[in-house]
Amino acid sequence: MKYSVFFKGLAYWNRRLHIHIGLFLLLFIWLFSFSGLLLNHSSWDFASFWEQRKETKTVSNISVPKGLDSLQTVKKIMLNLNISGEISNLKMTPDSVDFRVSVPGHIRNLHVDFNKGICIQNELRYNFWGKIKTLHTFNAANRENPALGANWLVSKIWIFSMDAIAIGLIYLCISSWIMWYNIRKSYRWGTIVLITGFAVVIYFLFILGML
Amino acid sequence: MNKYFPHIRTLHLYIGLFLSPLIIIFSISVLVLNHTEFLKQVSPVRVLPDTQTHLDSIPNDTSDLVTAKLIIAKLGIKGEIEHIQRNADQISFPVSLPGLRSIVKVDQHTNEVLITRQNEGSLRVTGYLHKMPGPHNVKIRGNSELIKNWTIWADAFVYLLIFLSASGIFLWYFLKAERSMGIYAIILGVISFACLLFLLFK
Repeated sequence: MKYSVFFKGLAYWNRRLHIHIGLFLLLFIWLFSFSGLLLNHSSWDFASFWEQRKETKTVSNISVPKGLDSLQTVKKIMLNLNISGEISNLKMTPDSVDFRVSVPGHIRNLHVDFNKGICIQNELRYNFWGKIKTLHTFNAANRENPALGANWLVSKIWIFSMDAIAIGLIYLCISSWIMWYNIRKSYRWGTIVLITGFAVVIYFLFILGML
Repeated sequence: MNKYFPHIRTLHLYIGLFLSPLIIIFSISVLVLNHTEFLKQVSPVRVLPDTQTHLDSIPNDTSDLVTAKLIIAKLGIKGEIEHIQRNADQISFPVSLPGLRSIVKVDQHTNEVLITRQNEGSLRVTGYLHKMPGPHNVKIRGNSELIKNWTIWADAFVYLLIFLSASGIFLWYFLKAERSMGIYAIILGVISFACLLFLLFK
C-alpha cells in the first residue's frame, strides 16, 4: 500500500517535472538545434558568415606596468582597453605580448609592443548567423593547453549552462521512459521503438568501430 | 484543435522514445566536449603500436582525396578521411572510425607508409559523432559511408527534436492544471536565456 502511494507520487512529480523542465529548456533546445543544423550545412547561403565577416585594425597608445606575469599583464591591458572575453593564444616576450580575446562572434587578436607603448588590435566580427554558430561551439577549450580551462567568468557560466541543459535533456529522456512504462499497455509499440532507438546508437557507437 | 490531441500525443510519445537514446548520447557528448581534462583522467587515449609498410605505387594524377582513398583501400583501413596535407615529399591524413583514429603518412619518394593509431574509447566517440559532419573541410566531408549515413541521422535527429519540442508545447497547452506553472517555466527559461546572451554579447 505504502509502495503504491510512493510510486504514484513519484509518477505524478516525474510527469510534472518532465513538462516544466521541457518548457524551461525550450529556447535552449531551439538554439542548439538550429545552430547544429547551420553548422552541418555550411553551404546554406542565407546563413553564410565567413564571407561577410568584418575585419578592422586599430592602433592605440597604451602603457603597461612592468614586473607583472603574462596573465596579469594581459588583464591590465584588457582593463585599459575596456574589453572582456576568453583569453587564448598567449605569447609573451620581454618586449611584447600577443594574445586573443574571444566572445561568440567577435575575436580580437592583440599585439602590444612594450617599448613603443602601442597596441595593435585586429578585430573579426561575425554577422548574426556567425554568432549563432559560435554559441554552439563556444566552450573555451584551449587546444594548445587544455588543462588551462576557461578563464572568463561568462565562459564558465556558459559551460555550466550547457552541462545543465545536457543533464536536463538526459532527465527528460529517463522521465519519458518512466511515463511510457506506466501506460505501456496502451502504447504497445513503445518497447520496439525504444529498442530500435538503442540499436541505432549501438550501431554508430560500437558496431561501426568493430567492423 | 482538441481532435489532434491523441494523434500528437502518440507521435510525441513514440518519436520521443525513439530519439531518447540519441538525445542521451548527444547530451553525454556535450559533457565530453566540455570537460576534456576530466575525460583524459577517466578514459585516457591508448596509443597503439605504429605500423610501417610499403606501397607498390601511389596514384598521383588524381585529386588528393581520391589519392588518399586509394591509399587507405590498399592499406585496408576504413573510415572518414578528416583532412589531407600534401607537399612534394609527403602526403598525410587522419582517418577516423568511431573509437579508432589512424594517421597515415606516405613518403612520396619511397612509397614508405607509417601508420600511427590510437584507441580513443567510447566516450570520445560520442564527441566525434557530435562534431560530424560539422563546418570544416566541407569539400571532402562525407567521404565514408559512416559519415554519409550519420549526416542523415544527425539532420533527422534535429528535425525530430524540433517536432518534439513543438508537440510538447501543444500537449502542455491542453493540460489546464499545468498551464500557469508552465507559463512560469517558459518565462524563467526566457529570462535565463536572455541573461546568458546578454552576458556573452554585452
